[in-house]
Amino acid sequence: MMIKVNNLQHTFSIGKKGKEKTVPVLRDVSFDVKRGEIVAIVGKSGSGKSTLLQILAGFMKPEHGSIVVNAQEIASLNEAGSAKFRLDNYGFIFQNFQLMPSLTAFENIELPLKLKGMKISERRTRVEMIMKKVGLTEVADHYPNELSGGQQQRVSIARALVTNAPILLADEPTGSLDSETEQDILMLIQQLNRELDLTFIIITHDEEVAMIADKRFRMHDGKLVKDGDHRVI
Amino acid sequence: MLFKDQIDFVLQHIKKNKLRVFMTVLAATMGCAFLIVLASIGFGLQASMEEEILSNQSVTKIEVMGGDAQFTAEEVAEIESVENVQTVLKTTTMDAEAKSFFEDRETISGVRLTNFTDYASIAKPLAEGTYPKNENEIVVGYHFGQTLLNEADRKLIEEKSKAAEAEGTYYNGEEEGYKSSLIGKEIELAISSHDNPDKLSERMTYTIVGVMPRPGYQWVIENRIYMMDEQRTALENSFKQVMVDDSASDFQLFNERYDIYAKSLEYVKPILEDLRGKGYGVYSVTEQLDELNIFFLVLKVGLIFVGTIAVLIASIGIFNTMTMAVTERTREIGVLKAIGASPKLIQRLFLMESTFIGVIGTVLAIAISYLVSFASNLLLPIVLEAATGEANFSNIQFSAIPWQLVVIAATISIGVAMISGLRPARKATKIEVMQALRQEL
Repeated sequence: MMIKVNNLQHTFSIGKKGKEKTVPVLRDVSFDVKRGEIVAIVGKSGSGKSTLLQILAGFMKPEHGSIVVNAQEIASLNEAGSAKFRLDNYGFIFQNFQLMPSLTAFENIELPLKLKGMKISERRTRVEMIMKKVGLTEVADHYPNELSGGQQQRVSIARALVTNAPILLADEPTGSLDSETEQDILMLIQQLNRELDLTFIIITHDEEVAMIADKRFRMHDGKLVKDGDHRVI
Repeated sequence: MLFKDQIDFVLQHIKKNKLRVFMTVLAATMGCAFLIVLASIGFGLQASMEEEILSNQSVTKIEVMGGDAQFTAEEVAEIESVENVQTVLKTTTMDAEAKSFFEDRETISGVRLTNFTDYASIAKPLAEGTYPKNENEIVVGYHFGQTLLNEADRKLIEEKSKAAEAEGTYYNGEEEGYKSSLIGKEIELAISSHDNPDKLSERMTYTIVGVMPRPGYQWVIENRIYMMDEQRTALENSFKQVMVDDSASDFQLFNERYDIYAKSLEYVKPILEDLRGKGYGVYSVTEQLDELNIFFLVLKVGLIFVGTIAVLIASIGIFNTMTMAVTERTREIGVLKAIGASPKLIQRLFLMESTFIGVIGTVLAIAISYLVSFASNLLLPIVLEAATGEANFSNIQFSAIPWQLVVIAATISIGVAMISGLRPARKATKIEVMQALRQEL
C-alpha cells in the first residue's frame, strides 16, 4: 500500500479567546491508496477536504490518527523532516498554479531541483525533458504572466513532476481553467498516470474532475465516504 | 540548495526592490560611516599625541629622577650589568656660552660633552657626516648653520621679524644663515660666562664632522655643539680666562646627566622594575604612554558606543525592509515551503538578504570613511590655521582609521544587520503554507 490513512481526527477552535468553540473538521478519516491510482476526494467548501490535504502534505499535524506514506509515518516528522519528505515524495498542483512571477517557465520548473541541490547541467537536462513531455518547449523563457491558464497549469504540473516524486497532490487542479483547457489538463493527468505510474490524489468540488479517478471519496462534515470504483477515460 | 543558487535567489529579490534596498543600504552606510569617522577621531588624536611624545624622546630611554643625579663608577657598572641595558649614557652640559666664528659669521651655542661610541649606539642617524674620532672634531646641532649669521642676515631677520610682528605672527629666521654644508669646515670657538658674555676666551679651532638629526619638535632651534668628553679640560682652561670672580670656587662649570638605554622597547619595563628594586629613581616615557593609552582606550570605546547608536538606528530600516519583504513574499514563501524548502533554508535566504544589505552598507561606509578621514586631515588644519592665525595644526592627525577600527565597525554593522533580519526571517519560516497560497495574486 502506498498511502495508508487511519482514524484521522482533527478539530479547530473558533470564537473569541476564553469563549472558544471546538469544531470537528476530520472525523475518523481512513482510506488507502495504491501505487498508480488516481484518487479523488470530492466535497463542498467547508467539508474538511482542504484540511485533509494539509495533513496529507505534512503542512499540519492531525490531533489523532496516522498517515503512512511509503512506509513512513509522516505525522511524527518535524518541520524540517516534513519538508524533506515533501521534496522527495510529493509533487503539488495548485488551483492558482502558484508559479513564481519573477521566474520564467523553465526556472519555475527548475525550482524543486534547486532545492534538492542538483548541479546546473543535470537540472537543465531534466527540466528540458519534462518540458518536452508536457508540451512547454516553446515557452521555456516566458514568464507566468505571458502564459495562458492552461500553459501555467502545465508548468505547475511539470514542476510537480521534475523531481520524480511518486505522488502528486492536486488541489482543485482545474479550478481556474475554462472547460476546454480543463479537459486538456485532465487528459494530461491521465496520460502521466498511465505512462509514469504516478499516484494522484485530487481534491476537488468538481464532479467532472472526479470522474477520471480510480477511486472517489466524498467528504461531508469531516467524514469520508467511499463512492465506489469508477474510471472514465 | 547550492550556495550559488541561494545567492542568485537573494539577488533576484533585491533587483525586484532596487529603490527600497538602495535606501536601506544608504541608511546602513550612513550609520556605519558615522561610527567609523567618530571613532577615527579617537584613533587620530591618540596617534598625534603618541607621535608628539615619542618624536623627541627615545622609547628605549630610561631617565633618572632629578636628571643630574651623579653616579659613581660602581653605580654605572651596576646599572650596566642589569640584563638588556644597552648603555648608561653620560652627557655633560657646560654652564657657559660658546661663541663660534666662521668666515664673517658667528653664533652663540651651548656645549655638550659625551662619549660618542655610547651615543652612536642609541642615537638616530646623523643628518650629515660622522661622529668625531679626534679631539678637535665636533658635531653641531641641525640648525647650527641657520644660526651662523653675518650683519646682512641680522638686518634681514630684524626686518622680517618686524613685518611678521605687524601681522601678529613670528619669524624664526629660517631663510637666513649659512646654507652650504658645514662638513669639513673649521670654526673658531671662544668661551664666555653668562655673567659677562662680552669677555671672550682665546679662540680654539675645531672641525665640524657631523650634523645632528632634525629635532622632533619643529619649533626647537638646535644649534648646540657636541664634543668628546676629552675636551673637558680644554674648555675648563678657556673658561678660567673669562671667570668674573676667581673666588667663586663653588661654581660648577659642568653638569652631568645619566640616561639609561634598554636594548629594545620590550626590555624597558623589566629594567625599570629591576632598577627600582635596587633603589634607583627611574622613569620612562613608555609609562606615560601607558596612561595615555588607557585614557584613549576609554575615549575610543565611548566613541564606538555612540557610533553604534547610529548603526542601531539604521538597523530599524533594515528590520522594516525585511519585514516588508517577508510580507510581500508570503505567497512565494508558501510555494517554497510546499514544494519542500526547509524552514532553515527559508530563514537563511532572508538572513542572507539582510546580511547583504549590511555588507554592502559596510563596504561603502569604509570607503566613505577613508575619504572623510583623508579630507579632514587635509582640510581641518587649513581651516583652523585660517581661523586662529596660528600654524601649529599641520602636525595634528584629526582622524585615523586603523584596520582594527575597520574590523570592529564591520563586525558591529554586519552583526546588527543580521540581527535585524533575524526576526523577519523567523517570521518567514512560521508562515502557514495553505494560508500563504490563498493570498491574492
